[in-house]
Amino acid sequence: MNNTPRTLNRILIGILGVKLLVIGLLLVLLATVPAVASWWQQWSAGVWSGISQLLQRTGIPGREESWVWAVIALLLAVVIGLMVAWVAQQGKGRANLIVAEDDAEDFPGNVRIGGGVAEQALRAALAERQDLAGATVATYEIRGEPALKIRLQPRHGVAPHLLAADVSALVEALDAVVGKRVPVLIHIGAGARSRFGRAERVR
Amino acid sequence: MNNATDVRSKGSHAAGNGASGKSSGGASGGETPDARGAGMRRILDRETRSSRAGVSGVAAVLVILLCGYGLLEAAVRAVGQPPWLIDPQTAAERIIALPQGMPPLLLAVLGAVTAMAGLFFLLNAVLPGRRARHLLPDPRAGVVVDDEVIASALARRARLAANVTQEQVMVVVSQRQVTVNVRPTSGVPVSENAVLAAVLEELREMAPEPMPEVRVNVATSGVIGA
Repeated sequence: MNNTPRTLNRILIGILGVKLLVIGLLLVLLATVPAVASWWQQWSAGVWSGISQLLQRTGIPGREESWVWAVIALLLAVVIGLMVAWVAQQGKGRANLIVAEDDAEDFPGNVRIGGGVAEQALRAALAERQDLAGATVATYEIRGEPALKIRLQPRHGVAPHLLAADVSALVEALDAVVGKRVPVLIHIGAGARSRFGRAERVR
Repeated sequence: MNNATDVRSKGSHAAGNGASGKSSGGASGGETPDARGAGMRRILDRETRSSRAGVSGVAAVLVILLCGYGLLEAAVRAVGQPPWLIDPQTAAERIIALPQGMPPLLLAVLGAVTAMAGLFFLLNAVLPGRRARHLLPDPRAGVVVDDEVIASALARRARLAANVTQEQVMVVVSQRQVTVNVRPTSGVPVSENAVLAAVLEELREMAPEPMPEVRVNVATSGVIGA
């Protein structure tokens, strides 16, 4: 429902996974296979001599340290910044308005209805139900379009299709009030409150 | 034993009927997503799959920690201060000499743990990440139901049909199969067909997508004093 970047998540997790897998397998092979150990010592020694020559050539005039270290530090700082930005993208997409449009042809101004209207109305309508352990309503923005997510936590043994039909009727009543049909997702889930709460004995 | 296999074949047959009825209803349902809003199909697709937000957070924190340490050592080196834990030069030399200077068992365990972590992240990225959820048909809204909720509704129906207590019924719902386990009260026979019919009836009314097959197991040993 939210705008979590799913493809990006898969790609970045996959890259990290491949890298860790390769490093881990290399370590295991180093510990177990002598041929791999001798190859590794030759190969990595060659790489390291190249790097150390680079470090010596790129010394800051008047000092012995290379400026490559500063560049490495900067690159690592950039990577950290990108990681923070990636985490900040997770679960984004909450919106404030469910209607924002100009439906009066000749008059200036437009109509805005806050998501709180739908959220409060549905929550108040659902609060009296005995077969629910909890209900939350939230407004999201999907590709620029507002949408409602209704999360219900029924008690043990409640038939989900009957519950969905009731809530769907409530949503249709809301449509009539707001005057616009927004996409609605009803998620009937099991949470800790419905799991440990008492079962509905009479219905 | 013979009776049990008979019930199973009946169960899959009846569920097959339900599935074919669903697919004919699905043809008319193909037009409804427009009525429910343009992006509804996409929303439902996203809701039945994991977003991998948690794993992404773990991966990002891991990379941030590694890069943070590297940043510290590189910055310390850049300004010409003594290193915090290990000088990059000595670190590189130790890595080059790697099978030496370290117990092989420790190295192998370290490698195995790293490889396992890598495999965990890789599988999380590659596998489809389907959540234990089903879709329900609805003319107005998209409805997603956790399998646990379906299981508890079916358990209630099976309990009423078998006339046993709540603890004697266990229902397991997976993507394509529903398993109903009933332990009868000792001395009181439970009709498998009645339980199967009740569960199938409930499933037919619910019409989850995809439609699972039903299997009823009645335990041979009963419960005393229930």
